Amino acid sequence: MSGKAPFAGPPAGRGRRLAGATVLARAAGAPLLALAVLIAVWEAWVRLREVREYLLPAPSAVGRALVDDPGRYASAAAETAAAAAGGLVIATAGAMVLAVAMAHSRAVERALYPLALLLKLTPIVAVYPLFTIWFGFGLWPKMLVAALITFFPTLVNAVVGLRSVDPAALDLLRSLDASPRQVLVRLRLPSALPYLFAALRISVPLALIGAVVAEFLSGDGGMGQLILIANGDLDTPTLFAAVFVLVALGVLLTAVLAYSERRVLFWHASTGDV
Amino acid sequence: MAAPATEPGARAAGAPTPALLVRSLSHHYRSTAGDVRALDGAALDVEAGEFVSLVGPSGCGKTTLLRIAAGLLAPCQDAGGAASTVEVFGASPDDARRGRWLGLVQQEPGLLPWLSVERNVGLVAEIAGVAADVPALLKRVGIADFARHHPHELSGGMRQRVALARALSHAPRLLLMDEPLGALDELSRETLRLELLALWERDRVSVLFVTHSIREAVLLSDRIFVMGERPGRVLAEFVVGLPRPRGEELVSMPAFVELEAGVRAALGGGRAPA
Repeated sequence: MSGKAPFAGPPAGRGRRLAGATVLARAAGAPLLALAVLIAVWEAWVRLREVREYLLPAPSAVGRALVDDPGRYASAAAETAAAAAGGLVIATAGAMVLAVAMAHSRAVERALYPLALLLKLTPIVAVYPLFTIWFGFGLWPKMLVAALITFFPTLVNAVVGLRSVDPAALDLLRSLDASPRQVLVRLRLPSALPYLFAALRISVPLALIGAVVAEFLSGDGGMGQLILIANGDLDTPTLFAAVFVLVALGVLLTAVLAYSERRVLFWHASTGDV
Repeated sequence: MAAPATEPGARAAGAPTPALLVRSLSHHYRSTAGDVRALDGAALDVEAGEFVSLVGPSGCGKTTLLRIAAGLLAPCQDAGGAASTVEVFGASPDDARRGRWLGLVQQEPGLLPWLSVERNVGLVAEIAGVAADVPALLKRVGIADFARHHPHELSGGMRQRVALARALSHAPRLLLMDEPLGALDELSRETLRLELLALWERDRVSVLFVTHSIREAVLLSDRIFVMGERPGRVLAEFVVGLPRPRGEELVSMPAFVELEAGVRAALGGGRAPA
């Protein structure tokens, strides 16, 4: 066999992808239509009843607010996304390190799990003023809030994932006298990936919430500050526009996550079309 | 009951070191309902280059014996009981494990789903620190065309072939197989059984083959040990004197049928599996 032979993928690979696009169009079609109807009714309602703009702006007014200064939303969204993503990275890295220690030693788990639980039960928002004392303003305190909020779900899933290895595969590695490091790298970490992605599905929206709340509290940049200012000005169209941008950001992050999950976990039942 | 003339597995003094030697092996599991006696003074041996089967009803301790031989499980020492002996080429199972003398094939293939077939097979050699000719191995078990497929794209029989190639990849001195064909449908089972026979007759690696199929045991083995359940001990030993190379046509020969009947009788008549 030549080692460079191109991978003869599943026979119906191309056909399946086309079918996938059709399925997607069908799945997205109905909700998009429903959304369009909702927006139309909303617009008609505001116009016919002459609802005041500071109470409920028409969708067209919201759209105008977005189009008037798209750069403002884009830079604020980028700032919030950076805080959320940075927090996720910190939380995931920290949780993985701790999970490896906990998965290897019940003693470590017994010692640290209650502390992690305590962290989970702490209203992180209440700690935020401390963060500003320690770290001042800027990206760091925001990332830390996002990280602390997402740490616990990631930790729990990572510990379960590291332990949920195929016993037959573990037996095989043990019969070869594989080192603990080989077992970790070759078996436990890949086995934990599906659990890690499940944790990220929970963590992505949580991280966004954490970042925005931190921006509310600090008034320092990002979508949170944008909303605060618009609220102060009774600029309701901007407020609505900001919320839509946040929703779009959540959808985008979730889509990126779903895409990478399909790429990374192609071997796992959760992503199969079978 | 066919009581053998000598103690099962009695050995002549001065014989060469056996591939596997098990004497007065006892083991019990602790459970909430009290101790379960899995093995009670089990004895058997596998000569170098010999294919030996261990048959017995489900739950008779066959798997426990194999796991102890593989160094995956430490036998518990009974107070006052005879000291158990388990030796692989004269060494302890743990030393055999460290020396990478053991090949393991279980009922569940235990393949790593995120690795391709060739990387699954290559991984074992990598952990054992030896070079393996993976394409040649895949060819030997008839899956050369599937080198770049992933386990989820293969049938159960194919996966078990990969597991077999993997177990052979570091040239083990003793191959331990625990119901390797047990999870397969009858057709694949028959095909694979014949291929295993042909494969073994070329290499003659020492094998302990655990099965509850009498036909499989007679067709493949040089000797058969029959185990009884609760407590698990070896009841009888049969020498299969059928000429090699063997083939499917053997199963209708009088000598084959007679041996099959003998093993079935030793298993305890009505309680023997079909």
